[in-house]
Amino acid sequence: MYPFSAIVGQDSMKLALVLNAINPSIGGVLIRGEKGTAKSTAVRALAGNLPDIDVVADCPYSCDPGDTKSFCRSCRTREIDIRRRRVRVVELPLNATEDMVIGGPDFSASIQKGVRVFQPGLMARANRGILYVDEVNLLADHLVDVILDVCASGENAVQREGISHRHAARFILVGTMNPEEGELRPQLLDRFGLCVNVHGAQDAESRVRVLQYRNEFDGDPERFCIGFQESDRLLATRIARARSMLPSIILDSDLHTLATEICVFHNVAGHRADIVIGHTARALAAFEGRSRAARQDVLRAALLAIPHRSRTSEPCVEAEPEAQRSNSPGQTRKPTVCPDEYPEEEPVHAPRRNAHMDDQESGPFQRSVLRADLPEAIFDIGSIFKVREIQHVSDKMFRKAPGKRSRTRSGNKKGKYVGSTLRKNSDDIALDATIRAAAPHQVNRKTANDLMVKINEEDIREKIRESRAGNFLLFVVDASGSMGAKGRMMASKGAIMSLLTDAYQKRDRVAMVSFRKQDAVVNLPPTSSIYRAGELLKELPVGGKTPLAAGLRKGQGVLRNVLIKDPTCRPILIVITDGKANESIGKGDPFWEALAAATELASDRRVKSIVVDAEEDGSFRYNLSARLAKVLKAEYVKIKDLRADVLLEIVRSGV
Amino acid sequence: MTSTLPLYPFAAIVGQDKLKLALILNIVDPTIGGVLIRGEKGTAKSTAVRGLADILPMIEVVENCPFQLPARDTHVVCANCMDQFCLNGNPAIQPASKASKISVVELPLGATEDRLVGTLNLEHALKTGEKRFEPGILGQAHRNILYVDEVNLLDDHLVDVLLDSAAMGMNTVEREGVSFAHPARFTLVGTMNPEEGELRPQLLDRFGLCVNIEGIRDARSRVEIMERRLGFDRDPWRFAEEWSNESAALSRSIQKAQMLCPDVATEKAILQRIAHACLKLGVDGHRADIATLKTTKALAAYEGRINITPEDVAAAAELALPHRMRRAAFDGAAGEVIEEIRRTLQSCSPDVE
Repeated sequence: MYPFSAIVGQDSMKLALVLNAINPSIGGVLIRGEKGTAKSTAVRALAGNLPDIDVVADCPYSCDPGDTKSFCRSCRTREIDIRRRRVRVVELPLNATEDMVIGGPDFSASIQKGVRVFQPGLMARANRGILYVDEVNLLADHLVDVILDVCASGENAVQREGISHRHAARFILVGTMNPEEGELRPQLLDRFGLCVNVHGAQDAESRVRVLQYRNEFDGDPERFCIGFQESDRLLATRIARARSMLPSIILDSDLHTLATEICVFHNVAGHRADIVIGHTARALAAFEGRSRAARQDVLRAALLAIPHRSRTSEPCVEAEPEAQRSNSPGQTRKPTVCPDEYPEEEPVHAPRRNAHMDDQESGPFQRSVLRADLPEAIFDIGSIFKVREIQHVSDKMFRKAPGKRSRTRSGNKKGKYVGSTLRKNSDDIALDATIRAAAPHQVNRKTANDLMVKINEEDIREKIRESRAGNFLLFVVDASGSMGAKGRMMASKGAIMSLLTDAYQKRDRVAMVSFRKQDAVVNLPPTSSIYRAGELLKELPVGGKTPLAAGLRKGQGVLRNVLIKDPTCRPILIVITDGKANESIGKGDPFWEALAAATELASDRRVKSIVVDAEEDGSFRYNLSARLAKVLKAEYVKIKDLRADVLLEIVRSGV
Repeated sequence: MTSTLPLYPFAAIVGQDKLKLALILNIVDPTIGGVLIRGEKGTAKSTAVRGLADILPMIEVVENCPFQLPARDTHVVCANCMDQFCLNGNPAIQPASKASKISVVELPLGATEDRLVGTLNLEHALKTGEKRFEPGILGQAHRNILYVDEVNLLDDHLVDVLLDSAAMGMNTVEREGVSFAHPARFTLVGTMNPEEGELRPQLLDRFGLCVNIEGIRDARSRVEIMERRLGFDRDPWRFAEEWSNESAALSRSIQKAQMLCPDVATEKAILQRIAHACLKLGVDGHRADIATLKTTKALAAYEGRINITPEDVAAAAELALPHRMRRAAFDGAAGEVIEEIRRTLQSCSPDVE
């Protein structure tokens, strides 16, 4: 195992982990960061530095011999032996089934005894240890719910498959995630006491050191570890000392006030943040061997506890604890953990070269006005934001909770096995659940052949599977000259880019059709390569007339092909235009032609449409897009309405 | 992979030197982390991977061990191994071990999750009423090569599982009534056609190396390819026989490189060079640096040296960095990216030291 003290840099991550080890009441750490930044390595290594704990030997719940009041049922009734062991790191694999996480009937024991026997699950094993979830943002929702529940109560209550049982389950929850893969639900986010953001080292010196250590470790792990034994041991004793000091650490009441002020300033939900800051500040003081927490402890604690809870801006992506820490002590100003000028969450996929990233609303608009009169131009991508949820609402099967856009209960034996049911409508049998159901009856059943288990019809359980198939998003983009005016294109590109980022996180497939001059082209055939779409978008030129009808027809063709390939697919059509059609396919009026195409599109109930009006607010408006939307039976939105923080689910209730 | 028909020999593949090199380097040092092969259809992607079986070295494994563990490694897992073939739970007994060839284990796209991670052994459960873990593909893949054809089309939940175990080197199973963990360190080899969509960056980063391959444009080589293929189709056995010397020679030089690899000296200047280049190119995290270094070492060893030259670093960087660069221009612009890597390395070289 790679030694904890051999991890180069990443100080705030290491600190957060150590503080949790000192004071488990802090409530865990969430480590957010890019790939390959020693996230997992640190968590694993931490366990080696924790003081050993006393447990009741053979107790599946690791009962604490010093705390007889919270003993489990079996420990209460028997003579106990005490054993000292290391703190466990229990991993929760992403593909775990629910019965293994919370526990369920144990079929081999049930068969022998003829009664249902409880088999403790991961929650039992994690009691008094560390529960580690790698890629916690990819964890299935039903498991997230379970963990939330247990974290909140410190107890695991099992009511399933004829079992009724409860036991203590208190653990340090440590999760890692790469925000590129999507965000966590706020509810779960809040459960993590602390949150740290990690990056790769940005100076050559540390990078060389990382490389050197790793090289030495791979060459001869044992020798490498011996080299760090001393510093690891020192850390372990420091943690142990801090732990024993912790109960006597004082946090003055004015510091309590400071903590609450910080929380109020950041508009955090609930009171957990205040409490966590208090716990963390005390742990910090203990770690540094002081008997009284100081002002700077509270400020440092806030840096770890606030970023993911602050509602003054999106979850802070790049809080710079080191930099801020150096100038925060002694200052009287209120500590702002997330700088207020921080732009809204910046998707990592956004092209870095985008110079207008920091510009607020007015910036890019003004800039592009200067170029509006050019016949053909390529506009930059405007400000990128987090988009509100867009879902298919027409089909009950297809929507449920914010999963990866649309979750679906699949009946075709594909997808993740998430649970079992008594229902019988397929031959997808859940073997484990079936045997569990049959187990207690085996004593009374006779088997004809040499099998130990006889299964009757009523024992059969079927699998519930869930697939997270993404949707298909078709963008039909107006690239005509009129879109170049008044920054429409830049804002539209920003909107599309935002939708693309969202699409990636939900694993959607996308395609893009653009129309300008005389014709429409399929810029991007259906693909899951969001990168490619982004690159294309960047280079999409603007100019010429507006063949809206051609654009819609082309889009229709793309949709038709997609639906032929996958009839269960529920595509979402997103039309971005100012509606000023002035080029027709045939001889008709351009706009009427467009409306005719829209009518046809609207007749296919499988397609959900959204018209994004690129026309800016003002005194003089054509409102053509709104008419188009009406005919298309589409949701009509302005670009600003797409923002997640402005309007939530405007149509959800209506449809 | 138990076809009686011989596979097209790796040594007989015309051109595609980069692809071959990337695969070979991964055999020399399996911790490099695998190869992602991106390229159009019909460019010997799959042939090369399957053909590897020919030249793979032997490893020592415990007989009948479902996880191909080496004898000294067994105690850790076997204590709760449900197939206690080897030790019967008694650590005092030395299990019998045998030499076995590293194999190429395939993960088909349609595989279900339980086949990938392993599941409850049904037969055992029904016959004896006891739980037993039946290892899946990840179990077979430990210390072997895990090959995913069209890896970009793999189901999302399977990708998650792959990521999980590739990151940990362990496969942790908590499902269907069984709770089990076994080591799963494998060389991940994937092929993909970028036209069909891209990979998730998170999975992309797990591949140690990445090569972009194209069909060969040179007419003479194209003829050569046709001739060899025809020769192979006419009489596979004879064809394999004809190439057996070449295969053996390649196999020998790989083994030599394996022995040499740990002795390759890594001077600080080399590390600095790599770190500077990665920093300049703006890669995510540190995995890129580490993969580049490992590849550099393997490359020097493969060429029979224990000192690293700047050319080694350059060649290694071209394999280890393209798919990790933040600018996502690797779509169709692979050449540009390689060019940028070259330039950066050159600019890094003189001022270091």
